[in-house]
Amino acid sequence: MLQLNRIMIKSNATEIDEVAAAWLARRDSADWSETQRAEFDRWLQSSTAHRVAYLRLEAAWQRADRLVVLGAGHVSAPYPGRLSIRRSYAQALAAGVLLALLGAGWLVWRPMGTSYATAVGGLQAVPLTDGSNITLNSNSQIRVEVTAQERQIELRRGEAFFEVARDPTRPFVVMAGNSRVIAVGTKFAVRREGDDVQVIVTEGRVRVERDSRLPPRAPVALLAAGSIARSGDTGVLVQEKSLAEAETYLSWRSGFLIFRDTTLRDAAAEFNRYNTRKLIIGDPLIAGLRVGGNFRSTNVDAFVRLLETGMSVRARREGDDIILQGS
Amino acid sequence: MSESLDTWFTREILAHEASLMRYLRRIWLDHAELPDLRQEAYVRVYEAAAKARPLAPKSFLFTTVRHLMADRVRRQRIVSIETVADLETLDVLVDEITPERRTSARQELRRLSRAFERLPEKCRNVVWLRKVEDLSQREVAQRLGIAETTVEKHVAKGALLLAELLFGAKADALENAAAESNHDQVQRHRD
Repeated sequence: MLQLNRIMIKSNATEIDEVAAAWLARRDSADWSETQRAEFDRWLQSSTAHRVAYLRLEAAWQRADRLVVLGAGHVSAPYPGRLSIRRSYAQALAAGVLLALLGAGWLVWRPMGTSYATAVGGLQAVPLTDGSNITLNSNSQIRVEVTAQERQIELRRGEAFFEVARDPTRPFVVMAGNSRVIAVGTKFAVRREGDDVQVIVTEGRVRVERDSRLPPRAPVALLAAGSIARSGDTGVLVQEKSLAEAETYLSWRSGFLIFRDTTLRDAAAEFNRYNTRKLIIGDPLIAGLRVGGNFRSTNVDAFVRLLETGMSVRARREGDDIILQGS
Repeated sequence: MSESLDTWFTREILAHEASLMRYLRRIWLDHAELPDLRQEAYVRVYEAAAKARPLAPKSFLFTTVRHLMADRVRRQRIVSIETVADLETLDVLVDEITPERRTSARQELRRLSRAFERLPEKCRNVVWLRKVEDLSQREVAQRLGIAETTVEKHVAKGALLLAELLFGAKADALENAAAESNHDQVQRHRD
């Protein structure tokens, strides 16, 4: 408090603001003694300038309470779908070089943790020591490091679904490409293709950040349940969906693919994630056909039969590939 | 007098800070003096309102700040033409049904989230843990592995920056960003 008294003597508005901010932060902390309260009251009453400065900061600080609303998605208002990162090519290049350098260092001093991987068509549950659960999708790999201080997961390839046990003292952080997904007690999935990352939240809230080593000012997205976010080199794009719709993206956990008005191109790509026998669209005219329904992700034959009987599509086998054509 | 002066002041006066600062920036050339002008105006309005609350708070605030500027110009021995545009032209039409009032809850949230994004990373983490995860300052310190006094400093800095970003000089930058985001949203709907 000595410091506060010393600054108080000056009267410049900016300096008063700083003292007011220091008081606000002190009040915001748990230990707030009677002595301090009295000292604060004296300061507040000694000048109207002190009081208005304090009121102004208090109003701003209280307004930040509403961040919870943003985070928890109690409003239907979509979180603004950020975000174009405007930065010059030179900056991007510099960032890339810096990242490469830091990345190299990263690998050297953090080779720890346990790795889990699934083959194409595989599905694996990974229970963690803290009570959290991870479900690994087909052709995916994670590295898990749970210590007393933190819970850190690196998604190296593919997709995983996370059910996070609440633990305020240890953040649960999923790193995927250049994105970091930070969770409280919550359920969400992260899917990675190179540096493109998709995040789907089905419960609670998560925060998506771009790698902090990427200048400038990495944008942050707060995701509520029902959000589907894509984070890539151009920023984070958020879509607000109904919870039911978000869940359909996660039907893989029970071994199913759910399509609703999905193009044949996208449906084929989904099947190909789960099967070594690949669907190839041999005729651009049928790529845009819409399909719907629930399919077992490994039963590509059933899907092809349905296409043949219901949608005038012919299938031709060539080795492991299944070529689809219009009839 | 059913409501406290502090509450009244926050709602009826502080709410106009963004337009007040916009106005001041346009006509007062030395921007370094703006925080002092703002604060002096607040002090005068608060003290006047302690005796009797003005019926048209926004007009009263702008009138007060105009008097302050006139005083300052008069006090300066050499009046530079450039100090301020002709004081007679300083009158602005003050619409009491303010744009601030009409700002929807959604816009307010958007502004808040943008302000939050603009906080420096460490400060942002502290604000997030304190406000969203509802950790105490002590728990925030434990989580981040930093001293409690450091957390307190980040809270102080966060409050100052949020005030600037939400009400003050930097609020306009946020408005511009919001306009751009409308463009983003169009793209999003197409997605």
